[in-house]
Amino acid sequence: MAPTSADEVRALVQKFWGNFIRKSQRQFEELYSPSATVFAADARRGEPARLMLVRRGRELFGPGSAVGAKLDSIDVQILREDLAVASYAFHFTVTRSLPNGKRVSVDVPFGRATQVWQRDASGALKIIHEHMSSAEPVSPKDLPTATQS
Amino acid sequence: MAAHISPDEIRAEVEKFWSILSGKSKERLENLYSPAAIVFTGKARRSERGPLTAIRRMRQVAGPDSTSNAEIDPIEIQIAGTDVAIASYTYRFHSNKKEKDGSRLVRKTLFGRSTQIFQRDDRGALKIVHEHLSSAAPPALEKTKD
Repeated sequence: MAPTSADEVRALVQKFWGNFIRKSQRQFEELYSPSATVFAADARRGEPARLMLVRRGRELFGPGSAVGAKLDSIDVQILREDLAVASYAFHFTVTRSLPNGKRVSVDVPFGRATQVWQRDASGALKIIHEHMSSAEPVSPKDLPTATQS
Repeated sequence: MAAHISPDEIRAEVEKFWSILSGKSKERLENLYSPAAIVFTGKARRSERGPLTAIRRMRQVAGPDSTSNAEIDPIEIQIAGTDVAIASYTYRFHSNKKEKDGSRLVRKTLFGRSTQIFQRDDRGALKIVHEHLSSAAPPALEKTKD
C-alpha cells in the first residue's frame, strides 16, 4: 500500500467539497468511514457521521438547496503512512428551504475545518473524524419565498 | 518500543491540559504540544503553530488577578493505530480577569467543543499534534466593577 502524500489528501479535500457543491450525495457519503465521528459547525455535541449525513442529505442535498465553498490553503500533517490530518479555513455559503416553506441563506466567511483521514482495509482514505466550526457567529437570513416575489 | 495508547492515558492528558489552563497545575502547556502541532483556537480565523498558542495561553493563565475554571464532559476516544488517538468532547470554560480600567471581565464559554489529536513522540511521550477548539454559541461576556 502506498504511503499517504499531502497532495493525495489535498485532492480528497477538493473532491469532498466538489461532491458537496454538486450534490453528489453517494460519493460525498462514501468519503466517511462507517465509524466516523463529527462536530458539525452548528452542533453542541459530537455525533456519529452517519447521523450528520442523514441530516445533511435532507437539508442540503435536496432540489431547493445550493452550497458554495471557497477553500484557503490546506495544511496536511502526515502522522503515519496510513493517517493524515487536513486543516484549512474556508468561506461557505448555503441556501435552503425549511420545512415550513421559508427559504434561508447562511454565509459563513470564516469557516474552519479539521478532517482526519485514515486508509481503510481496501486502501481508500476515509474521514474518521471531522470538526467544522466558524470563527464568528453566523445567523440565517430569510429569503423571499416564491409566492412573495 | 513504546506501548500502545490506552484511553486512560489520553483522558489523563486531556485532564492535564485543562488543569494547566485553569491555573491548577504548575506544569507548562508548551510541554504538551509537538513542535509541529497545528491549532485552531476558539475564535481565530486561521490556524497557528501549537507552541505559539501554548505560550500565549500560559501568559494569560499566569496573569495577575485572573482566574479560570473548566468542566469537561465525557471524552470520546478513537484509537487510530498504535501511536495516535483522537479525543473529542464538549466543555465549559469560565474566566474572570481584571481589565486595564479596573473592571472585571467574566467570559463564559458554555458550549465548547474540542478535538485533540495525540501522537507518541520518539521518546514515548504523548504530544498534541493537532487541536481544534470551537464554540457552538458565542461566549457570554459580562463586565463588572470591583
